[in-house]
Amino acid sequence: MTWIVWRQQRPVFITLVAGLVVAVAAILLLRAVMVADLTAGNLLDCVGKGLEACGPAANDFQTTWFDRLHLAEATVLAAPVLIGVFVGAPLFAREFEQGTHALAFTQSVSRTRWMATKFVVAALPALVVVLVYQLVVHSWLDAAGQLGPLSTGPFYFTTFEAQGVSPVAYTLFAYTLGMFAGAVFKRTLVAMTLTLGLFVAVRAVLTGVREHLITPTRVLSDDLDARTVERGPLVVESGFLDAKGAVVADPTPMMNCAGKGDAQGAVDFAACYRENGLAQRYSDVIPVDQVTTLHLLEASIFAGLAVLFVLGSVWAVRRQV
Amino acid sequence: MGQREHPPVLAEDLGKKYSRGWALRGCTLEIPAGRIVALVGPNGAGKSTLMGMITGLLRPTTGRISVFGDAPNGRGMHGAVAFLTQAKPLYPQFTVTETLKYGRNANPGWDQAYAEELVEKAQVPFAAKVGTLSGGQRTRVALALALGKRPKLLMLDEPLADLDPLARENVLQTLVEECRTQKITVLLSSHVLAELEDVCDHLVLLADGRVRLAGDVSALLQAHAEHRTLSQLALAYMRMEVAA
Repeated sequence: MTWIVWRQQRPVFITLVAGLVVAVAAILLLRAVMVADLTAGNLLDCVGKGLEACGPAANDFQTTWFDRLHLAEATVLAAPVLIGVFVGAPLFAREFEQGTHALAFTQSVSRTRWMATKFVVAALPALVVVLVYQLVVHSWLDAAGQLGPLSTGPFYFTTFEAQGVSPVAYTLFAYTLGMFAGAVFKRTLVAMTLTLGLFVAVRAVLTGVREHLITPTRVLSDDLDARTVERGPLVVESGFLDAKGAVVADPTPMMNCAGKGDAQGAVDFAACYRENGLAQRYSDVIPVDQVTTLHLLEASIFAGLAVLFVLGSVWAVRRQV
Repeated sequence: MGQREHPPVLAEDLGKKYSRGWALRGCTLEIPAGRIVALVGPNGAGKSTLMGMITGLLRPTTGRISVFGDAPNGRGMHGAVAFLTQAKPLYPQFTVTETLKYGRNANPGWDQAYAEELVEKAQVPFAAKVGTLSGGQRTRVALALALGKRPKLLMLDEPLADLDPLARENVLQTLVEECRTQKITVLLSSHVLAELEDVCDHLVLLADGRVRLAGDVSALLQAHAEHRTLSQLALAYMRMEVAA
C-alpha cells in the first residue's frame, strides 16, 4: 500500500525536494555573502551586542541586510500554506476528480487503510522539508544575531511564527485542512482556494489571541517616567497603579502636567504623576523564557484542529453517497 | 441452512433516491452463483445504480442488499467482488507493470502470474504508461486488474462501450473464457443486446428504476415463445416500457 501512494506522490516529492534544494542553496549563498560583509565591516563582535554598541558600519549593514532577513522569515511563514494548497488539497480531490477513487474503493484494501497510508506518505516528506528549510533560514538569522530581526526579540510575530514548533504545527494544520476540503468538495480547485482562504483567516485570528494563552507576569516599576521599553519580553498590557495598588483605569487626566514646569520650562513628570496620585508603573509581560511554552500552547491549538480535520476526512471518505 | 452458501447478490425491496428522483425502486432479485448475468435496460434504467450499491460506493435509500451474505458498506468493497466501470479508471501515469503491482499491493489474494498472462495475451506492452494505451488495451489491462484479484463475482458496467468491434469481440471472448473456467459469477451490463446473446445465461431487465424481467434465459425464452432470441425478448419489453 505504501508503494502505491509513494508511486502516486513521486512527482510531488520530487518537486518538494527540488524546491528545497534551490531554496537552501540560495539561503546558504546569501548567508555566506552576509558573513563576508560582517567580516569586511569588522562587525563580527557586534552580532552579539546589537546596533547601539556599534558604529556606522552596523547601520550600513542593516540597510543592506535587515529587510532580506525579514523576507527570509516571511518565506518560512508562507511554506505551510503552500504545502496545504499543493500537497493537502489535491490528495483526495484529484482522485475524486479523475474517478480513480472508484478504483481505490473497489480493491480489497479498506478505504480507511488507503486513506491512512495516503495521509502519512504524503505528509512526512512535506513536514521534513518545512522543518529543514526553517532550520536553514534560522542559521542565517543567527549569523546576523542582534543586528538582524532577532534583535526585536523572540515574540516579534515574524520571528515567533518562523521558529520552534510553529512552522511544523502550521503545516500540519494547512495540510489536514486541504485534505479535508478535498475529501468533502471533491474538486481540486475548490479545495485549494478554501485551504488558502481559511488558513490565512485562522492564522490571522490566532495570531491576535495567542498572547492570552499565558497568564502574564506583572512587572512593577517605581520609575513613573520610564521612556525605554525593554526589548524581548512580550508586553500584553501596561499602565499605572494608584497608591493602593489598584490599576488606574484611565490615567490620562492624572498625566496632565501642563503648567507644572520650573523656570526653564522643564517638567519633572515623575514628581507630577506622583502628586496626581499615580504610584507605580506596571507592565504585564510574557517573559522571554516562556517563549517555548507559548509555542507549544499555540501549536496544540493547531494540532487539535488538525485532528478534527483528519476525523472529518475519515468521515468524508468513508461516507457513501 | 448453515451449509448453504450465500448467493453473490441478494436484494430485497432495494431502492435508491437521488435529489432528482428515484433511480431504482422496489428491486428484489437474486443473482445466482456461477452464471453470466446480463443486466440490460435503457439509459437511466438504474443499472449503474444497482452496481454501485453492490460495491458499496452507493448507499441504498430503502431496502436491503447483501453480497455473499455481507451488507456492503463505506469501509471497502467485499473482497470477493471485482468491479470494472464504464470509465475504467486507472492511474494514467502508472505503467502497465506498475498497475499490476498496484493490484498486488491492494489485494491479498492477488494472482500475479495470471494477471501477467492476461496482459500478455492482450499483447499490451508492460512498460507502456496506461495513459498512452488505446481504449481496447486499457480495457484489457483493467480486466487483468479485475481478474487478478481472483474474484467470485465480477461486475462490468458497460465494459465494451468505447471499443471498436474487433476489440469488443476480443474482450468479450477473453471474459467469457476466463469466467467459465474460473467459475466466476459475472454481472454484465450493456446496451448492445446482440453481443450478450451467446454469452449470457441469466437475464435481469431493468426499466425506469424497476425490475421488469429476471430469470434463466432459456426458461424465459420458453415462457415467451413468441421471441426467439434474448435480444428480441429484451427489446420487446423495453418497447412496452416506452409505450407505457
